[in-house]
Formats: sequence, C-alpha cells, structure tokens
Amino acid sequence: MNESAVHLLETGSGEMVEAVFVAEVSEEHLEMWSQTWLPIMKERFFCRSYAGPEDAHWNWKAKAQEIRGLLKYEICAVVCRQELQGLMLINNVASARLKDQFGKPLIYVEFLSTAPWNRPELKQPPRYRGVGSILIAAAIQASLDAEFKGRIGLHSLPKAEVFYEHKCGMTRLGFDSSHEGLLYFEMTPEQAAAFRRTTR
Amino acid sequence: MTLNLSEKEMRVLEELAEKKELSKTGVMKLALRLLQSVDARVDLGSKLFIENEATREKSELVIL
Repeated sequence: MNESAVHLLETGSGEMVEAVFVAEVSEEHLEMWSQTWLPIMKERFFCRSYAGPEDAHWNWKAKAQEIRGLLKYEICAVVCRQELQGLMLINNVASARLKDQFGKPLIYVEFLSTAPWNRPELKQPPRYRGVGSILIAAAIQASLDAEFKGRIGLHSLPKAEVFYEHKCGMTRLGFDSSHEGLLYFEMTPEQAAAFRRTTR
Repeated sequence: MTLNLSEKEMRVLEELAEKKELSKTGVMKLALRLLQSVDARVDLGSKLFIENEATREKSELVIL
C-alpha cells in the first residue's frame, strides 16, 4: 500500500493529529517541497546571524530525477493537513559495518529532512513533533519488508547525532572520512525491535 | 515465473541466502537491484572498482 495513517504531536494544542505516510512520493509532494520548504531554507541559508539548516542545499527534485526508475532507491514522505512534513530517501542495496552484522544487507538512509516549521532552531515552538521518528520507523519497516531484519544505517548531520543515538538507540561507528567526516550510525535487528516497541 | 538454475548456480544461491540471512527470492531481488544500479552507472560512463580497504589496492570489475 502506498499510503498509511500515522500520528504527529501538534505542539500548539498538545494533541496527536492524523497524518499520512506516503511510501512513494509524487510530483505533487516534490512541488510542495519546492513551494513551501525551499523559500524558507533559502532565506535561512543566507541569513548572516544564523549558520542555516545543514540540509538547506539538498535539492529533493533533483534527487528524485536522479533516481527515477532505479529499484535501489525510494523516496517517501509524511503529509499532514495538506502540508509536506518530512522526506526521506532510502537505498536498499547496502551492507552492515557492525562487527557482528558485517556484510549483511541493510537499508541505508541517504537523506532525511523534516519541514522547516518543525525544527526548533527555525520555529519556536515547532509545529509538529515526531516526523523523524515516523521516517526512521518507515526505514525499519522497509528493512523488514526486504528481509533485512530491521537493520538500517546512516550518516548523520551534526545536529541530528543526538536524535539518532539517544532517541533511536542506534550504535555510533565513528566519523567517516569517506563521507564528509560525518558520524556513521547503524541499527541492529534488536535495536530496531526496541525502537518499534517505544514508538508504537 | 519459474527460475531455472544449474546445480552450481543453485548452490551459490543457497550459500548467499544463508550468508546474507535472506530467502532465495530475497537474494535474487537484491541481485536485480544491484545489477540495475551498476548497469545504469556504466551506461553513464562510470567504471566499477573494488578496493581492498587494507592495501588500498583497486581492481576494476568488468560489467558486461
């Protein structure tokens, strides 16, 4: 199924609101990115008093164009109240580096972004919370669907390291000089099961 | 669809399935995704190299 119901915390009301997880983005979602995220990202990127979002240069339309037709990649999204809340690009041809998982297949999260209005450094309070967790849960589900037992891996941007290590419970494997010096994380099948229990 | 494999191919498929903790279908799907991704890069003029992490020695993998 391409779409499924998920829930986000609306910080203003403190209520859980229904959102939609989309397993395969359409042109409409990419247009939402272009119309709503991009102007804010550009404005913040060139703001002198603030370093700007670390992912401000990610062009999701170009990424979608690059991977078109390739079975190896999928771009999924979270939409709430007709607004794009999150995007993730996953790669299903990658293998684990952790010693006891070495060489076993995993889902590699190439890119993961939440909407600018959901980021505490850009909007206080952020509009919705939980987008990142929904997307990580989706990566785990993709891993289970591909028989990878929940194994996932990713390189984290510096500001997201705490999220992946503490909220997601992933194992840090050190800074990777072959990947812009970013910190590499992996999630084992056991950690994936634990994450699913806490986010259910 | 029925997949006809020789005894030798089937043995390799079974070994890979065990090593990767996948079903035989899972291995075939993974192989298809990998071959398509490599083929797409080769079509664009890229070459595929295998690097030995310890020695940094690189060898080109020939893709037909």
